[in-house]
Amino acid sequence: MADELTTAAEVTWCPGCGNFGIFNAFKKAIRQLEETGLGRDRIFMTAGIGQHAKIFDYTNISGFYGLHGRSMATAQGVKLANPDLKVIDFVGDGDAMGEGLEHLLFAAKRNADITVVMHDNGIYALTTGQRSPLSEKGYRGPSTPLGSEEEPFNPLTLLLEAGATFVARSYSGKIDHLAGMMVQAVQHPGFSFIDVLQVCVTFNNKYDLYNERVEIIDGIPDSREEAAALARKTDKLPIGIFYRTEKAPHHRALYGSHHPLKKRLSRKRRLEKIHKILRSM
Amino acid sequence: MREDLFTFLVGGEAGHGVKKAGSLAAGIFAGMGRGVFQMDDYQSLIRGGHNFSVVSTSIDEISSHYLAIDLAVALDERSYRMHREHLAETGVMVFNTDQVKDGRGVGLPMTAEAGKYSRPDLILGVGSVAVLACALGWDREKTIQFIEGAYPGGAEDNVAYAGRIYELVEEQIKGRFELKPGERRRPMLSGNQAIGLGALAAGLDAYFAYPMTPASPLLHFLAERAEEFGITVMHPESEVAVANMAIGAAAAGARAVVGTSGGGLALMDEALSLAGMTETPLLCILGSRPGPATGVPTYTEQGDLKFALYKGHGEYPRIVASPGSIGEAGRLTAELLDLVWRFQTPAIMITEKHLAESCMTVELNLGEVPWAEATLHQDGEYLRYRDADDGVSPLLFPPSGQVIKWNSYEHDQQGITTEKAEIIARMHDKRFRKGESLVRHMKELRTVNVYGQSGPLIFTYGSSTMSVLEALRVLETDARVVQPIYLEPMPVWDLEKYLGSGPIVVEQSRAGQFANLLREKLDMEPAAVIRRYDGRPFEPAELARQIEEVI
Repeated sequence: MADELTTAAEVTWCPGCGNFGIFNAFKKAIRQLEETGLGRDRIFMTAGIGQHAKIFDYTNISGFYGLHGRSMATAQGVKLANPDLKVIDFVGDGDAMGEGLEHLLFAAKRNADITVVMHDNGIYALTTGQRSPLSEKGYRGPSTPLGSEEEPFNPLTLLLEAGATFVARSYSGKIDHLAGMMVQAVQHPGFSFIDVLQVCVTFNNKYDLYNERVEIIDGIPDSREEAAALARKTDKLPIGIFYRTEKAPHHRALYGSHHPLKKRLSRKRRLEKIHKILRSM
Repeated sequence: MREDLFTFLVGGEAGHGVKKAGSLAAGIFAGMGRGVFQMDDYQSLIRGGHNFSVVSTSIDEISSHYLAIDLAVALDERSYRMHREHLAETGVMVFNTDQVKDGRGVGLPMTAEAGKYSRPDLILGVGSVAVLACALGWDREKTIQFIEGAYPGGAEDNVAYAGRIYELVEEQIKGRFELKPGERRRPMLSGNQAIGLGALAAGLDAYFAYPMTPASPLLHFLAERAEEFGITVMHPESEVAVANMAIGAAAAGARAVVGTSGGGLALMDEALSLAGMTETPLLCILGSRPGPATGVPTYTEQGDLKFALYKGHGEYPRIVASPGSIGEAGRLTAELLDLVWRFQTPAIMITEKHLAESCMTVELNLGEVPWAEATLHQDGEYLRYRDADDGVSPLLFPPSGQVIKWNSYEHDQQGITTEKAEIIARMHDKRFRKGESLVRHMKELRTVNVYGQSGPLIFTYGSSTMSVLEALRVLETDARVVQPIYLEPMPVWDLEKYLGSGPIVVEQSRAGQFANLLREKLDMEPAAVIRRYDGRPFEPAELARQIEEVI
């Protein structure tokens, strides 16, 4: 694994963890993006807190390791300050659909130009296997010894309804597919979301289920309704782009072609304007 | 009592244009070159209820409103009943005869006259401005011109109604009061406006806030000027988003500021701690109001002092300061933005509704304030958390060709998560040294205001300072007023001579939080603690009596 995109940090994922696939796909995506002219120093990664988020320590690119559930807000702040950056936020399903759900839905609603990659293992792994907002009803974990009494969210239909302009699903076991999804998500102008089916070998091992049911979608559905219907399928687990549409990204809607840092007003110009305001008050 | 003082009050329901009328009255006095203080008392509602605006003016400096009213205009019955008792001995009450049948004073059929226009409620307030102008001896033409200028959108009904009120009241009160002009016209600013201008002067790039009284006007002020100044102003889904977004913006190189009240600050708690750990520059403006919980949204209190001092879990250098006047609020905002960028740690500036939303004439020279700059990485391998001697690791922003890692976990110099005992202790030490560097720097700053040379010693802070200074003008007695601007780190170096003293303490807190802080940090045992905690700011004449009782 030693390469220039990997730090010297000790890797502490379990052997066979789906996070390795996501990590390798991300490095692949960075290289593919570089071939298109996007320098790796323009990629900025953020991460929430959970097993998934260790990808922050292992990947040798710039970023901000934020709070559990809040990295989606931090990612949007980065993008608003410097729209030249491509911000990729790595979140867990507990992180993004539990503690941080508000930020995820609002990022989709306002079409914030960030990419959210959700490591979806259906449990809280770092805190020893409690149920997540995506755990199936009946899931037995240390906080639900009799089985979870709640139905899970469907992340894809939820994001479609919230207004996401790029919604995809991939699988940690299909690295090339996932890398391709990441590249297209980063290139998408506006909010992009990838639900990554991720195996947790320790608490929620679904390797066999995923290997049996995952299948790549042909093309992209034409409408949100079709995308939602596809997302509700359980006999098969389609992966690929479910929905993609063009809409002005949030920062453009907020301040047009302005660049808050590059076109920063000098101290002198600000003071002139302030004096003018003071004279009018 | 001060001889040159004059106080005008207009009261009515929400929706009567009371605040606007108060602002126009303040504009009349400020235009005469006089000192002016305007306090708006309003309820948390949009229509109905009781609102009033009280404007006091003096030929020299003034730092509070008074409730000894020389001219009161009551637009409804409730205002008439409530404010009759606030009239000065020679005060005049102008009331609405359509609501008050047997009133004493000057009665006008305000509702009937306003009913001749399309939006009768909304124009009631402007009539009070005509009453004031007339009472000050202005002729009708000058009054009309002034009101025309105050509604740039052209409000013909306002002008016509004001003209009619002028005619009705002219015979009875024209020229009743004579006010001398002051030395020069000064700008009339609210605390929130001064804070906004201070932030802009120091380099503000991005302001994030979720609406919450009394900080919302700051959000509105900056949002309105975002395009002109090229800054980003963003109102996201919650205060949690506000703080975490601002931290992201700062990590990308933007001077970010957030604003809220106590409840919102509670939601920002974890993010403030994040700023402490990741060493992200973040300035938070706290507009305090009476708590706990939702409390009393549109009133004032200093009950959040301890809350602000201990924001954020864990140990990291914190900065907490509170301005003692509207002018100081502008200067201090700029200074704090500079400090958070120099020392890469969060700061909270505490203001209260009384300072944030009141308006006064101020001399605001922002040409002298700092321009917030960070220590930047020069060359060589970049380490986000380089263990520098002064604890301040230079900053670098993407894209830079280098890897920049900010981390909420304890981390090594590179920004990679660690659990190693030696590194944990070393990073704690580094952040602690940054706190020491901050103190060294603060020793060059003005951290305490002292007013007066001799007489009894009074300690106060924040907006209570304005009340204390005005009360002393009433008392005409010498006193030394000490106002710590910084509350964390407490500037003990500038307060050494008061260590162990027993001052009078004035604050707006039931628990006496400021007095307790002085006990803790400065070994003081206050001789008396004058507290007010009914949501209303101190009234200077009343405070003067309270001070007199204990000296």
